[in-house]
Amino acid sequence: MDYPSDSALLARLLAGEEKAFRELVATYQGAMRAVAFAIVGSRNADEVVQDAWLAVVRNLDGFQGRSSLKTWLLTITANTAKTRLKHNRREVLLDDLPGPHGTIGDERFAADGHWLLAPHAWHQDSPDALLTAAELRECLEKTLGSLSELQGSVLQLREREGLELDEICNLLQVSLSNVRVLLHRARLKVFATLEHFEETGQC
Amino acid sequence: MLSCKELVAHSSDLLDGQLRLRQRLAVRAHLAMCLRCRRFIKQMRLSQAVLRQLPQAPISELDALAAKLAELRRLQR
Repeated sequence: MDYPSDSALLARLLAGEEKAFRELVATYQGAMRAVAFAIVGSRNADEVVQDAWLAVVRNLDGFQGRSSLKTWLLTITANTAKTRLKHNRREVLLDDLPGPHGTIGDERFAADGHWLLAPHAWHQDSPDALLTAAELRECLEKTLGSLSELQGSVLQLREREGLELDEICNLLQVSLSNVRVLLHRARLKVFATLEHFEETGQC
Repeated sequence: MLSCKELVAHSSDLLDGQLRLRQRLAVRAHLAMCLRCRRFIKQMRLSQAVLRQLPQAPISELDALAAKLAELRRLQR
């Protein structure tokens, strides 16, 4: 097996050990949910994830370890989601919904492209220090909730789950240029929220 | 010469290693001279780190789901 860190867990899964399944779900369900969300939307995502788990158990004997367990799980999730969609495949929505604190838009720059309103230095410069404020955590959740399903999923898969851009493209069947656009706009909205909080101390 | 606005437009591609050589050189040259854009990129990286560390909502029914899946697996063997 090319992914040694998976093989110990896999052996326990094959043996039907409950704790191993607990570990599997706890580690990967977040990413699976993001994939399902992007493809079928919030209404059907939970059901797709449930179905995907059943498919995972059904196919466990066939897992060859040619990919990582994570990639395998996410591929099953994407396939389950796509099967569910069948013919009524949704169009890729590149619509950019407004974030609660805006973005870094044209109004921040002068006509010659220089900063008009440049970012100020922030009071905190570590993630831990920033996240000690409960209000900021809630505020970020609000911003993440304002993203479209596809955009939120792309952001989560990239930033939290550490997927490569081409993995995201393959799973969600979105072109690389679209993934880059979605990701960039999402990041700017998150940036605007942090900046707003740093400057005003409130959400 | 790249403007600050263009640098911001390229910032995600910079973070993801998606810039071509020519763009990468232009971005580096700009950053070497522009404190405000250096600060912006630093804050973008910090935003990424904050997202990574944002606590995730607990999975509902984790134990029940794990028990069910393990049971199914054992039935299969």
